[in-house]
Amino acid sequence: MNNLFNLFNRRKKREAETLNLQNNNESYWKIVRQQFKKNKIAVYSLRVVFIFVFIALFADFLANEKPLVAKYEGNIYFPVMKEYAVDLGISDWQNEFRNVSWRSLKYDWVVWPPVPYLPRNIDVSNTWADPRGEQNVESLRWRHWLGTDDLGHDVLSGMIHGTRIALLVGLVSMGIAAIIGIFFGAVAGYYGDEKLKMSIITILLYVIGFTLAIFYAFGTRSYALADSIGTSFGSFLWEFLLSILLFISIMYVFKLIASLIKKLPFQVKEISIPIDILISRLIEIVVSIPQLFLIISIAAVVAKPSIFIVMVIIGLTTWTGIARFTRAELLRIRNLEFIEAANALGYKEWRIIVKHALPNALSPVLIAIAFGIASAILIESTLSFIGVGVPAETITWGSMLSKARAVSSAWWLAIIPGFAIFITVTIYNLIGEGLTDAMNPKLKK
Amino acid sequence: MLKYIFKRILIFIPTLIVISLMTFVISINAPGDPVETMLNQNVGGEGRSGEKLASEKTYNEKRKELGFDRPLFYFSFTNKTYPDTLYKIPKKAHRETLQRLSYEYGVWENVSNYYQALRTLEFKIFEIMPSDENSSKLRNIKDNLSSLYLTHDEAEIKQTIESVEFDIFKDNNIKKTAETDFFNLKNNFEHLIFNKQIINRYLPTIYWYGFDNQYHNWISNFIVGEFGKSYIDKRPVSSKIFDALKWSMILSILSIIIAYIVAVPLGVKSAVDKGKTSEKIITTGLFLLYSLPNFWIATMLIQWLGDGDGLGWFPTHGLGELPESAPYWDRFFETAYHFILPLFCLTYASFAFISRQMRGGMLNVLEMDYIRTARAKGLKKQVVIWKHAFRNSLIPIITLFANIFPAAISGSFIIEVIFSIPGMGQLTLQAIFQRDYPIVFTVLMFSSILTLVGILIADIMYAFVDPRISFSNKKS
Repeated sequence: MNNLFNLFNRRKKREAETLNLQNNNESYWKIVRQQFKKNKIAVYSLRVVFIFVFIALFADFLANEKPLVAKYEGNIYFPVMKEYAVDLGISDWQNEFRNVSWRSLKYDWVVWPPVPYLPRNIDVSNTWADPRGEQNVESLRWRHWLGTDDLGHDVLSGMIHGTRIALLVGLVSMGIAAIIGIFFGAVAGYYGDEKLKMSIITILLYVIGFTLAIFYAFGTRSYALADSIGTSFGSFLWEFLLSILLFISIMYVFKLIASLIKKLPFQVKEISIPIDILISRLIEIVVSIPQLFLIISIAAVVAKPSIFIVMVIIGLTTWTGIARFTRAELLRIRNLEFIEAANALGYKEWRIIVKHALPNALSPVLIAIAFGIASAILIESTLSFIGVGVPAETITWGSMLSKARAVSSAWWLAIIPGFAIFITVTIYNLIGEGLTDAMNPKLKK
Repeated sequence: MLKYIFKRILIFIPTLIVISLMTFVISINAPGDPVETMLNQNVGGEGRSGEKLASEKTYNEKRKELGFDRPLFYFSFTNKTYPDTLYKIPKKAHRETLQRLSYEYGVWENVSNYYQALRTLEFKIFEIMPSDENSSKLRNIKDNLSSLYLTHDEAEIKQTIESVEFDIFKDNNIKKTAETDFFNLKNNFEHLIFNKQIINRYLPTIYWYGFDNQYHNWISNFIVGEFGKSYIDKRPVSSKIFDALKWSMILSILSIIIAYIVAVPLGVKSAVDKGKTSEKIITTGLFLLYSLPNFWIATMLIQWLGDGDGLGWFPTHGLGELPESAPYWDRFFETAYHFILPLFCLTYASFAFISRQMRGGMLNVLEMDYIRTARAKGLKKQVVIWKHAFRNSLIPIITLFANIFPAAISGSFIIEVIFSIPGMGQLTLQAIFQRDYPIVFTVLMFSSILTLVGILIADIMYAFVDPRISFSNKKS
């Protein structure tokens, strides 16, 4: 018992030591934060992002065809809230609300959202409505404050719901890019060309394991995956997660076998794998693929265009910047003292990478992510502008802007969505600049 | 140096192989049947068996001509249910159904028997002369049979077979000719579902197909310069792309040159004047320019300056319509006039980017000790800036070329589309909307090669500007 307690104590102490070493790192972040706060423009940009996030989160409450609260035939309803429940499958619409035009119902009293339209609502009596001009509406409540397009879609509502898509594009695509980029960059930077040593048997086992894992997780399940794309995004995500889990577990089994073989009495000579060269070549290859052309060709080929496919493709092609930054940082960090200390303490390599090396390398990655979000939003709006890859019924800033090409007098369709794209791209670029300055105070002097 | 270039070109090879594989994978997953697109018709719907045979024959001939009757790749790594002779089935839609059926039930042989039985029955049905009383039934049967080619759902197949049975046995004439074949089909299907072998899905199998395959054929044709023919107007892809590439290259190269000419002095000036109000305005302006989406600016310019409802200062469409016979300079000025707006939209973003980089590089250099020394020994400011600082700050600008060049190719894409310039962008977009895949994939390959060349040129220029860089043991 005592022994065990001792062991526990030792472990605590060890962790405290590494923490101490990492305190350096905390103060570094503090400096970065302070420097960032000094940059007024970047701070304001961050606030604008928060406003956008707010709009995106509450888009359904800001612009919706359904009332927020309504008293109808003696009962009080919350149709917007209810829609969430219906979408989740918890609840269902009452019969009197199925396929109704919400505007034409006779309410006792009703609270409409600030913008009483959905982007897809068609207002036939107000096509190409000018924001300044006369509009064919009952009262100011129903006015299209930012005008309409060829089918009478409300522009303001489209702007509000478009914010959601723009932010989601940045988030999802850069999320994917960050996962891939940080993984490859960390492995290449930490192991370099000589640090990763394996025996030939282990390498062989991993290669077989990888092939089989791909085969079972994705090959045999390809129909399940393809079918689920057709049903809904949620089911696809579920099937995909299942595949990933299968993949990881098969790889893990082979890892166990490899570690068992290692324990066998005979020794096999270990060779070092030039993982850095391999990953650098991979990055070089991906960089030389013309991104826009690739995205457009893939998007054109997909049977069912969807905004999520666009996000995934953008993520899969933009990870190289993040990988390069991570690699360069880890090349520097892996020779620092605290990594040596962690090594000496006998921590596992993955733990050293994830818990000790990576947190110190993340700052340049943040810069790459900030700029990456800007370019992802730009790519998405370019795609919806030319009408490739994004389904026609999805209304985005880019697709609204493209309508301005048809009628040159519709100035509001050119200015408003374009300005929104411009502002979003600019603030992310400004945040990126702010981060760069904050981490490189030398340039700031 | 030569050795280095040679080494770089060697790296091209794996890159191009990867890109070509990606292109190929996209192309085989492209929706639609390329042979049908090329023939501009839906083969084998109506008519008698003779007509059906004839149309299938033209289909097969076209397929052979296009090289689609070969296996896809050198080898396949799939599960045991995957039929290794699948490529011999002519129609793409049929192939997809059969592969799925084989996956569901596990035994390709049974699926193949079912398919053969289905085809025999269909031909028998097509041989029957339609008369007044049985024509509606025949039509029903034909519809049902052709829907069988496209479904893999067990319940659906059963239902369809039942309704076919119902129709066949209602009419004596049809019954006489098609009865045995119908039972053959039904038995084969039942055999298929009762001999399910799901285990086969989980057995990995490798088939080797040899070199006579579609990928090999396509890539070796590509290397020789045979890019195939457009599905739509049957012109060779190479001539279409050459025509388009001309305009894209003129646009891109002009825009790069203008961008560098304007950006470099501006960047230097804003670095030298650091801290002054004028510099701050320039820097902010450049930053805003850099973030302005060029398709937005293009749309607004067309609206305001274009010849529609705008001021009518500039043409917004195409390259002018002067005939070939018009004097050269007239045509030249007409085209140049049409080029102004697109060139502006293309240039401002890269120009802002370059001058920001120039400013950064210059600022770094100006902090160096040797600049201070040069100033201290009494050299004029202008001399120090242009002779000492400028040359050393050029290095990052030149590497930028590697970024600018590919960006100009794909950047002109959207501008060409907006201004209807017959360049690569418009060609590709049209090809995509018309599903003219030979063009799409050739363009994809081409732009990758151009990107690689751009990177190579930048690397070589890098060495010329900075003698410290040696290629012999350059670390990536």
